[in-house]
Amino acid sequence: MNLLPSLVSIFDELTQRFGAQIEHAHAPQPNELYLHAKRELAGALCSTFYKKYDGRLAGVFAEDARAEHDVFFVYYLYALDSKHAFVLVRVPIPAEQPELLSLTNAVHAANWQEREIQDLFGIKLVGHPNPRRVVLHDDWPEIYPLRKDFDLRTELPPFTGVRHKFREVEGEGVFQVPVGPVHAGIIEPGHFLFSVAGEPVLYLQLRLFYVHKGTEKLFESLPIPHCLRLAESISGDSSFAHATAFCHAVERAASVEAPPRARALRTLCLELERLYNHVADIGAICTDVAFVTANMHAMRLKERVLRVNEQLTGNRLLRGMACLGGVRFDFDADQLRVLAQLVNEFEKEFTELVELIRSNSGTRDRLETTGVLKPEVARNLGIVGIAGRASGFDHDLRRDFPHDFYNEVQFTVPVFTEGDVQRRMVVRREELFQSFAIIRQVLGKLPSGSIRTAVDEVPPDRVALGYVEGWRGEIFHWIHTAPGNRLARCKIKDPSLQNWPALSEAILGNIIPDFPVVNKSFNFSYSGTDR
Amino acid sequence: MNLDLPALLAQTALLLLMAPLLSGLIKNWKAKLQNRRGPRIWQPYFDVVKFLRKDMVISEHASWIFLVTPYVVFVTALSAGLMVPMITAHAPMSLFGGALALVGLLALGRFFLALGGLDPASAFGGMGSSREMTLSAIAEPAMMLAIFTVAIAAGSTNLSQIVLASHGPHWKFLDPSHALAFAAMFIVLLAETGRIPVDNPATHLELTMIHEAMLLEYSGRYLALIEWGASIKQLVLMSLLANIFFPVGLAADATPAAFGLGLLFLVAKLVLLAGAVVLVETTNAKLRLFRVPDLLSVAFMLGTLALVSTFLF
Repeated sequence: MNLLPSLVSIFDELTQRFGAQIEHAHAPQPNELYLHAKRELAGALCSTFYKKYDGRLAGVFAEDARAEHDVFFVYYLYALDSKHAFVLVRVPIPAEQPELLSLTNAVHAANWQEREIQDLFGIKLVGHPNPRRVVLHDDWPEIYPLRKDFDLRTELPPFTGVRHKFREVEGEGVFQVPVGPVHAGIIEPGHFLFSVAGEPVLYLQLRLFYVHKGTEKLFESLPIPHCLRLAESISGDSSFAHATAFCHAVERAASVEAPPRARALRTLCLELERLYNHVADIGAICTDVAFVTANMHAMRLKERVLRVNEQLTGNRLLRGMACLGGVRFDFDADQLRVLAQLVNEFEKEFTELVELIRSNSGTRDRLETTGVLKPEVARNLGIVGIAGRASGFDHDLRRDFPHDFYNEVQFTVPVFTEGDVQRRMVVRREELFQSFAIIRQVLGKLPSGSIRTAVDEVPPDRVALGYVEGWRGEIFHWIHTAPGNRLARCKIKDPSLQNWPALSEAILGNIIPDFPVVNKSFNFSYSGTDR
Repeated sequence: MNLDLPALLAQTALLLLMAPLLSGLIKNWKAKLQNRRGPRIWQPYFDVVKFLRKDMVISEHASWIFLVTPYVVFVTALSAGLMVPMITAHAPMSLFGGALALVGLLALGRFFLALGGLDPASAFGGMGSSREMTLSAIAEPAMMLAIFTVAIAAGSTNLSQIVLASHGPHWKFLDPSHALAFAAMFIVLLAETGRIPVDNPATHLELTMIHEAMLLEYSGRYLALIEWGASIKQLVLMSLLANIFFPVGLAADATPAAFGLGLLFLVAKLVLLAGAVVLVETTNAKLRLFRVPDLLSVAFMLGTLALVSTFLF
């Protein structure tokens, strides 16, 4: 096995400690170790990673391997940030007794993901504190869409089941305020049920997954090159990040590497995506406290980035740019000049916008101490991305697992511990300044050469993890290839899936009119959550 | 109660026609200050006409209260407007109590609006009503104190008398009690018309709304009446502010020239006041809901100081 040095010692310790209980190990990439273990070992390995190796559970997902092995496999993806490595633990779940021992009581981050496995694969959770349905709502018929024997074109019977029953909060003067699932803005559906005593919020229940699109199932039905376009549409505001994560996975499975220029161009596009999303979010946060002037400037700045996006890639949201083995379009000298000019002007105007917001004490008063997500809560829930960094979780795949061109550039990762709306805005602000620096450095040392390595038919039965630090947080695409240049399984992990519960925690003790700005400061993706 | 029919009709027409324009002007200027082009200033007229033409969707849980509220809101705002001197110092209508009756009429409208918000039992309406009543409990006394300050100087609560008394050589704006009372009234104006920093009239976020939350269940003709009524109330409060504290240019005699000049002065004063409102709205964020009472308490204190200082100076 060709392992990272930091991973070798961990692997040795694990084999010593667990011996034959780890049945098999392999490492398709130096920073990606697979351990095939007995089902009973999942909990012990989990606590080992958490306690000994500073690891965290970044994802849990399942795969239907009944045809070949007569079992379901459940994978636990651990990110060992300080060791710059991923460990994937695979445990078999017998098909005749599909039961999975839940880890949620120990690791809250697994909550929705384990329930997702239960809903989509029909693997019953044992010992889960709240094993109710999450992805397929309670009124759905008994179907398990991600099992191989479920046909994609199955027509579902009428939904006759009982509707979801929310928990009731009782007490004198306690009222329930239902909001959604259809909202006043142009956003996706999500139901928020507030239990309030006057204005203060006592409890917030989230209900998402109103538009299950079966994207992961769709991946299994398409040839790999077509899957790329599907990956772009997982979450519209992160289309390039998702597409690139998918490209990384396929490239790793096919053992090809994108040429240096392609990696640099990918980095530029990822930063452009960060640019327009972060500035829009900063504006939107100001709108939600009725400081609309700042938003109008932010919208103007966002529009400039979108227009440059179009000049560079032909699409305002960078769609169609990603490509297996590299990128679709090269940037010529004129385009690079446009980009350099954008960064200079954007930085100047953004600095003015920052000053405008900073000088408005009313805005600051609204944002500070509002919607606090305490570091320990964030850590328990496994909150990642900007929300995690505002609550003291110092991580960033760009730094800890440098992909594309990020090991060639210098940047810092802003981290705060207050965890309020203000800090989530400041994290965005500081990341924007870092983005300017990253783009300038990449432009300064842009390699020449080809922009694409040909990716032929991907060999079957390879597993690979693609990852990208999108603007919202870490995005994982895990694939298992099948014969005929197809996928047996593609697991998509958007940061929102894991981050949504943070909202319920952050809003506690706040008043209900502050909810919109707290929600906006997280700005989770509905579509990325309910693929 | 004395009535002057031609003046009554003229002022009714003035209130009905000018109120949407004032709202439109504020919206347009706000947009301009935010680097937007903004809606045309006569857009509110089109809105009212549009709403009047539309069908209404009324909750099956709504009772008669929901149905009479739009009329009450509209009529109270309009009749309050008839008691305010606009072009001449003589308002066409005066009820027993003068300024007190005006505050009472506005309170009646608000009371019904709050009931109308509660009546269909939607979550947002209830929140809006609760917030509106909480805030008005402080805003109303502040307004009373400010009006009392000028009423004491005039020796009458009749608004026409107040304006007449301050109209003339004795009027001085730099009088501390007047300045304090004006400041108090201006804050009350922001609160009563649902402006930033108290409420955001342009938001779509139901959870943050105060005034708008109570209107969420209204549609069609009823919505038109309430929106129109709200803009009339805004015009009434702004005219009150303009004419009590700056009683210049009011028509002294009943000639067309004097009326024309009076109208011109009124428009000029309203435009200035609208500019001030727009400036406050664009340069401020909305206060936290629980900080709004602090702001209104400031208005109340200013009103109190104004009242006290009438006896000192």
